Amino acid sequence: MIRPDPGGGNRGIRNRSWRQRESDPGTAPVFSLRGAGVRFGATWALEGVDLEVGAGERVALVGPSGAGKTTLLSLLNGSRRPTAGRVAVLGRDLATVRPSELRHLQRRVGTVHQQHHLVGPLRVVHNVNAGRLGEWSLLEAVRSLISPTDVAAAEAALARVGIAEKLYERTDTLSGGQQQRVALARVLVQRPVAILGDEPISSLDPARAEEVMQLLAGLAGDAGRALVVSLHAVEHALRHCNRLVGLRQGRLVFDAAAAEVTPVMVEELYRIDQSTDEHGEGAA
Amino acid sequence: MLAFAGSLVHAGLGSQGTLNPAGWPQLRRFLAAAAHPATSPEFIRLTLDATLTTLAYAVLGTAVAVGIGVVGGVAISESWWRRPPSGRPRRTGRAGEVGPWLASRLVVSLPRGVHEAVWGLALVTILGLDPLVGVLAIGVPYGAVTAKVYAELLDETPTGAFEALRTAGVGRLRALTYTLAPLAFPDMLSYAFYRFECAIRGAAILGIIGAGGLGFQLALSFQSLRYDEMWTLIYALMAVCGLADWWSTALRRRSALPPRTIAGLGDVGDSEQRLTGATRSALGRDRRLHASAAVVVALVVVSLWHLGVDVSTLWAPRAQRLASEMAASSFPPDLGVEELARLVVLSLQTLEMSVIAAVVASLAGTAMAFVIAGGVEAEQRAGVLQRVGAGAARGLLLVCRAVPPPVGALLLLFVLLPGPLPGALALAVYNAGILGRLMAEVVENLDPAPARALRSQGASAPQAFCYAILPRTLPRFAAFGLYRWEVAIRETVVVGLVGAGGLGRLLAQQLAAFDYRGATATLAALVVLTVAVDMVSSSVRRALR
Repeated sequence: MIRPDPGGGNRGIRNRSWRQRESDPGTAPVFSLRGAGVRFGATWALEGVDLEVGAGERVALVGPSGAGKTTLLSLLNGSRRPTAGRVAVLGRDLATVRPSELRHLQRRVGTVHQQHHLVGPLRVVHNVNAGRLGEWSLLEAVRSLISPTDVAAAEAALARVGIAEKLYERTDTLSGGQQQRVALARVLVQRPVAILGDEPISSLDPARAEEVMQLLAGLAGDAGRALVVSLHAVEHALRHCNRLVGLRQGRLVFDAAAAEVTPVMVEELYRIDQSTDEHGEGAA
Repeated sequence: MLAFAGSLVHAGLGSQGTLNPAGWPQLRRFLAAAAHPATSPEFIRLTLDATLTTLAYAVLGTAVAVGIGVVGGVAISESWWRRPPSGRPRRTGRAGEVGPWLASRLVVSLPRGVHEAVWGLALVTILGLDPLVGVLAIGVPYGAVTAKVYAELLDETPTGAFEALRTAGVGRLRALTYTLAPLAFPDMLSYAFYRFECAIRGAAILGIIGAGGLGFQLALSFQSLRYDEMWTLIYALMAVCGLADWWSTALRRRSALPPRTIAGLGDVGDSEQRLTGATRSALGRDRRLHASAAVVVALVVVSLWHLGVDVSTLWAPRAQRLASEMAASSFPPDLGVEELARLVVLSLQTLEMSVIAAVVASLAGTAMAFVIAGGVEAEQRAGVLQRVGAGAARGLLLVCRAVPPPVGALLLLFVLLPGPLPGALALAVYNAGILGRLMAEVVENLDPAPARALRSQGASAPQAFCYAILPRTLPRFAAFGLYRWEVAIRETVVVGLVGAGGLGRLLAQQLAAFDYRGATATLAALVVLTVAVDMVSSSVRRALR
């Protein structure tokens, strides 16, 4: 297995011990995984993953279908609990925090999905405002459904992704690319410390994919946010991210700065052999 | 629309909202009897026999309905009347095609406007107390609805293959069997099962007006205030209804049968799930369908034997004589000024009852559906309390739709003074039982991903519910409610028969007095009202989509 030294600007953080980092939330990495694994039935979708992501890093998760990229992202936003190992966000172990703090941490992590997961019959402004739910009370949330509150913030977010004029349209009347932008705006109003992208460009044509990747990288860069995005296309990863994490059959194969990733590493990652096909299919 | 409904509810309550506290002990005694139903061997035997009778009516009624539906559905589908595509543009030839199509549509909308109980009463006069009355009373109106739905299904099916064959000179019946029919078959089968569920409830109602079976026994036991016996019969009805529901849902969900035609209303489930369902059970489906087909055949044979149906009654000279006599004495309808004024007043009352029933049923059904589906978003996190609540709600809904509305209305008369309100509320309870189940199915089939996405970014469960579940379900629930309103306006006749008011009560009086000319006028008013409600409802439903 190829396992080059990750390098980059975060070597200092990486050398400290787990205990130290957890007790010091100020400098703690955004995400920190220790021996994390997820098992579905008898198969491990993810196994023994050690990973740290610091503020301002742009990390691409690459690897063949079923490598465990989506599962890894679901660990990072707390929607799935690891079967083994530990997952910490901003230095706090998700398994031990109280539910209220878990929600608080989840609020700091925004996720963009390939299928957007927007609510079609709602107007765009409500779908964007849904990003505020973590900070709003139930009463505020319901009131906003009746008469949208804080429209200015929603409009600014939409303007940032280039579709400000769609504010009051029904979301399911928008095109796929426009819906992707609504999903991005929803993440923006969340004001997260990290943005996760689950195959955000795999259903877009090359030109739109490039636009969305530029947007994502830009949004992350705006406020020193961390970006973790799973991608099928390695060229996008190399162009827009400064670090690539290769996953294969649920295991971390390499973790390297973009500049250090060689064609051989990529070829090895996507190599097709009989066992890959058998194990790979079920784990996605 | 809501204000309109609200004002009508208010009018209904304002004029009739007087309670009858003296009846409370009776109602309590009835409810208490739920814990100890009659279990003597001979009563159990009677109950089983009655159950079989009700089931037999439902099975044969559905069989007739599906027969009418298939023939009629093809005959009134647009595809059938469309000429084979030739070189000329299609629009110019429309007039000649639309004429017969429109006429055939009218033919099916008439029997649909009248409730099966009225059909039963009319047929009894002609055929006498014959089992065919029950079968036809269900089969004819259901057949008309089925034909309409089947026609819509055929017309919604992509016609490319059909037209290709037609262009190639294939006759239209053969072209239809090879192209449209196989494509529309799963939907058509699914709808037939939904009709069967309805037919069981319809058969119970017919029993009350004399067809025998569970409804009849229920009315008898009620007259002698034998509450324990009533509960035995209600439990039997619940068991049959529950089994039919389970059978039809199992076929719809586990096999590749799409859930979309549950009420001829468009999608209930998500297309994505439908696909996975299809792939998941490509093997299991055939076996399940074959087993179901065998059960259906067995049921039909047993039903024919149990009821002793003799089709020749239809052609007997006596029936023909009575039919012509009835036709002669029914025309022309009584339409004097006085009668018209009375019809208008009673029509308004009927409308009021149907609106109260539909609104109350929709609200109650929605609440119950969310209680039942409480675990959708919470998934494995659903607590014990939620599960117990969901189970209790399911049971309650089953009771609600198992008690026929006339019996419900009479029960409500314990605590309410006579008038339209008990009838309307009985209809509301009954329809809430049906709506709650349909709505729960919608929520359960909802794609959970958007709600999960909101949860993963820190939204609380109630917030995710408001933003991801409500907006996707309420429009469909409104459509269901409107559809149920159409049904409720027909059903007002049934509670009217036991004296709840409206046109149904007048009709019962007229039929009892052999005033057929008056009855024809009342029926005409009922059909007009039904058609009007259908039109309003379907235009609002279209706007909702």
